[in-house]
Amino acid sequence: MARAAVSDADLLTRHIAGDPHAFSEIVKRHRDRMWAVALRTLGDPDEAADAVQDAFVSAYRKADSFRGEAAVTTWLHRIVVNACLDRMRRKSVRPVADDELVEAAERDTPVLDQTAEREVSMEVSAALKLLPADQRAALVLVDMMGYSVEDAAQVLEVPSGTVKSRCARGRAKLAPILSHLRNRSDLSRVSSAKGAELRDG
Amino acid sequence: MTGDTHYDLEILAELAEGLLDAATALQVREHLAVCDPCGESLADLAAVREVLSATPTPAMPMGVALRIDRALAAEAESFRGGGVGLVEAPAWDDIMRDAPWERTSLPEPELEPVTRLGVVGDDGTVIPAKRRKAARRPRWAMPVAAAGVLAAVVGGTVVTSGVLSAPGAERPAPTAPAVIAAGQGYKLTDSNWNYTEQELSGSLLDYIGPAQIVDAKDMSAGVKLEQCVQQVSAKVGKSPFAVDQGLYNGQDANIMVFWQNQKKNSVRVHVVGLQCENLRKPALASWN
Repeated sequence: MARAAVSDADLLTRHIAGDPHAFSEIVKRHRDRMWAVALRTLGDPDEAADAVQDAFVSAYRKADSFRGEAAVTTWLHRIVVNACLDRMRRKSVRPVADDELVEAAERDTPVLDQTAEREVSMEVSAALKLLPADQRAALVLVDMMGYSVEDAAQVLEVPSGTVKSRCARGRAKLAPILSHLRNRSDLSRVSSAKGAELRDG
Repeated sequence: MTGDTHYDLEILAELAEGLLDAATALQVREHLAVCDPCGESLADLAAVREVLSATPTPAMPMGVALRIDRALAAEAESFRGGGVGLVEAPAWDDIMRDAPWERTSLPEPELEPVTRLGVVGDDGTVIPAKRRKAARRPRWAMPVAAAGVLAAVVGGTVVTSGVLSAPGAERPAPTAPAVIAAGQGYKLTDSNWNYTEQELSGSLLDYIGPAQIVDAKDMSAGVKLEQCVQQVSAKVGKSPFAVDQGLYNGQDANIMVFWQNQKKNSVRVHVVGLQCENLRKPALASWN
């Protein structure tokens, strides 16, 4: 398809100019990554679906506010992450104590016979849910999605040092909960970003 | 800080990120050289990064992708002031749907504003997605068909939404009154869809809404299913409004959907096997 060669920024320009297909193409290109970010940040598929939908609709509406100083993907990530943070704030997640973290992680571990990969995934989700919103968002972008600290800082609109310190504090909270997963041989080594690359060619 | 005292995880995590000032960093490193427990803690921190990066992130489920396409199509519609030039006649069915005098005669929930998806041909005409035959289809058929529909929608968001909601375009299936067997009270469908845990916690309308409606009387296991529905209904305290025959993680399953809060489109889902055994903890999902 000829469209594959068109850059995101060009597509956005076409969308603003009234091309009815341009925005769909942007959505198609980036929805899996946006979904991953929202699902991991919110830890709930229903909430994630609402957040991603809100974000794409919002991006559709305010496409002309895109200034071009950042990549389109950064801009989209920012809208998705903000939609997630808004939802989390509305739910006003209270900070939890360390023993609660461990308890909750154990409680949320699935009892059904599921694959090891799924179990790990559920455990990670449950653990992430217990972090404060800003630490969770930073860890999802940097550790899970594999973005550089600088890219994450642009998405989150904070200095790089802030991203680093949020990641550090988040990891310190997760370490006691996830340490038993150390050196699991059945853990997939393919990171999400790499997985998407492999899949999308 | 030597002997019995150890650094806490946060300091160690900050060291790993290079956030400590040079003097403190040196002090912690010296301690690490002689303290095994702190070394272990540092390894635990590294493991967090490793575990997080190795956790697979699933692709966006088809249901969510379709939902977003619909939302964007609606957005395009309102932005363009109602699909001028694409819709030959006003979509009266949709426009009048919420009129108070229309309400009483409408069977819910089949009349959700979900258009049956079709494929837009090169000349702009809509070929409605085919109804599936009652015979069991190969298990790979559904995802392929769904992907085709999705591609059509993504490629022509505005066109599909405009044309599909017009009464002139044939709009079969979900709006047709469901075939409800006497005394059955629920819509029985046969999607044969292999549901995942995630799909069962999301919106089920996308999966069950377009599915083939079947009559329990035509099925060899119909009586058994009917008994099972009654059994589960007794436990839940009400009857389901939809029962879909499909699979759950590859296992034959009946998905029973009960209203939890109809106004909020929230539903309670029970997944039972052919022997009416619970295959999954009953949980909430949505119907929109």
